[in-house]
Amino acid sequence: MLKGRLAELIDDRPDDGVFRVSRAIFDDPNVFDLEMHHIFEGGWVFLGLAAQAPGPYDYFTTTIGRVPVLVSRDSDGKLHGLVNSCPHKGSRVAQRLHGNARLHVCPYHSWSFDSAGQNKAIKWRKAGCYAESFDASSHDLPVLPVFGEYRGFLFGSLNAAVPSLTEHLGEAAILLDLIADQSEEGVELVPGEVTFTYDANWKLQLENCSDAYHFTSAHPSYIRVLEQRKEQTDASVVRSVWESSEYWTGDAEGIQGGSFSFQYGHVLNWGRFEISDALPLYDRATVLAERHGEAKRDWMFNMRNLTIFPNLQIAENASSQLRVIRPVGVGKTEMRTWCIAPKGEAAEAHRQRIRQYEDFFNPSGMATPDDTVSYENCQRGFASRVEPWLQGYARGMTASQPGGNLFSQPLGMEPQFNVLADAQLCDETLYHSYYREWARRMLEGSAS
Amino acid sequence: MNAPLSSREAEELLYTEALLLDESRWDEWLELYLPDSVFWVPAWRDETTPTQDPESELSLIYYRGRRNLEDRVWRARSGMSVASTPPSRVVHAITNVLVERADSSEAVISSCFTVHLYDRRSDRTHVFFGRYQHALQRVDGAWRIAAKKILLLNDVIPTVVDFYSI
Repeated sequence: MLKGRLAELIDDRPDDGVFRVSRAIFDDPNVFDLEMHHIFEGGWVFLGLAAQAPGPYDYFTTTIGRVPVLVSRDSDGKLHGLVNSCPHKGSRVAQRLHGNARLHVCPYHSWSFDSAGQNKAIKWRKAGCYAESFDASSHDLPVLPVFGEYRGFLFGSLNAAVPSLTEHLGEAAILLDLIADQSEEGVELVPGEVTFTYDANWKLQLENCSDAYHFTSAHPSYIRVLEQRKEQTDASVVRSVWESSEYWTGDAEGIQGGSFSFQYGHVLNWGRFEISDALPLYDRATVLAERHGEAKRDWMFNMRNLTIFPNLQIAENASSQLRVIRPVGVGKTEMRTWCIAPKGEAAEAHRQRIRQYEDFFNPSGMATPDDTVSYENCQRGFASRVEPWLQGYARGMTASQPGGNLFSQPLGMEPQFNVLADAQLCDETLYHSYYREWARRMLEGSAS
Repeated sequence: MNAPLSSREAEELLYTEALLLDESRWDEWLELYLPDSVFWVPAWRDETTPTQDPESELSLIYYRGRRNLEDRVWRARSGMSVASTPPSRVVHAITNVLVERADSSEAVISSCFTVHLYDRRSDRTHVFFGRYQHALQRVDGAWRIAAKKILLLNDVIPTVVDFYSI
């Protein structure tokens, strides 16, 4: 069914210099249902950080598409990815966002499971007059068909027929290294989770993270506040990382950043930041250069917005945010967001990171609401089919080059495509990778 | 010697703040705050525990210094923030006002709030609710806000929350 419709949703003709996406991909409920089956419940999705369950019996809960998931660390320290649904009547077993439990007891009929998901007890089993066939079947929490970790980043899939995690992440794993290597101890989430919703399709968030074009248009109020603060710096205001860069201003000349896109839909857009004390990482600049070399250290300071398709975004720009996209309906999305930080950060750097984060990333801050309200404006506009094709995938069409460039080379990273950009190019071809992976998962799922 | 803050004075200050926010009289609202005042909206660690140390944990908003609130007011009025334009209509209802402690120059009061918000653009209504704690100081005979903590209980935010809607 989808195969016939794909050409109505994505118009991908590289030889003609055409890439267009239909408004219907954002607001058709049938498309959304297929996305849940094939994108989210049919392939790799990000689950969380190993640091969210650091010790024995620690756990956290999340979802894969609509399916509740429990990630639990057992007594030996091994992490398990489990379906958080009781085999008895289907109830969600673990109720909380995170916690510590040797035993997970279903609140409905008291079936219980250990920290590896194995059934420990079925209430009044002996008196239950069960048939032999019942005893022959497993009563454990179902194990995710695929579950994997890369340097503390946990991924799972409800579909076993997926590439290995190594293949799925591919060269984009090097960009996760840039985060994980900021401290020898790895990364952690600052306590305090912020969740918000917006009334628009999940792919608006997917794209916005990679959208260099909107910054000066959607966020002039934030930019002006920062300019005003720069004039009158005192201890009461937090410094802004943007003062260490000109790549976003539209005035800077020469190469200021660009984009990389990877197989399986992962993309990065980036901009040059100086090694500046406006960045919380500054006090580690020397140590990081000694440990990883200057080129990799410089990359750690660059502005980087990374998407690991389809639901993980790590934005290192105004501060550092890890966000998980959870589609709720075709026109509703929930965002779970955290401040991600290198473990063992000095107190003052940590404080600065947190303050910068709150100002920019929070739904109570000065930037994110101007994004999410814009998503909602788009969602309303998508109702039109007078001209169904959107024109937001065309910038950079003649700048996109296969493979890497002089900036990816020092990292030993070989992307599928790259764009080198001045301050005004604001590549949109990186979205193509999203929709090519989208089409691949949708077609593969429809075929099986 | 001044008398300690009375319940009546506490209520009047809270109701005045509510009215100034409801009527977008933000300059007068800022005047209630001392220049070095703290404005704090904790985030939540989990279902039951708000964050407690703004230096090492995330908040929804944490400002030390009124000038940060002045920035927020400027932004909301600038016409350069689509989230703030057109403005939502809000009404703050303050109840359960208790003077926790008070002497002639300082006081701490707690209260409950509900803020009904109507966003005409999206025809969306929402109610934010929680508890306030105000620390007050008497300066030149008038009670002013030295610190305000807003414990927002329903912290899954529908798109936008700003200083005027909590």
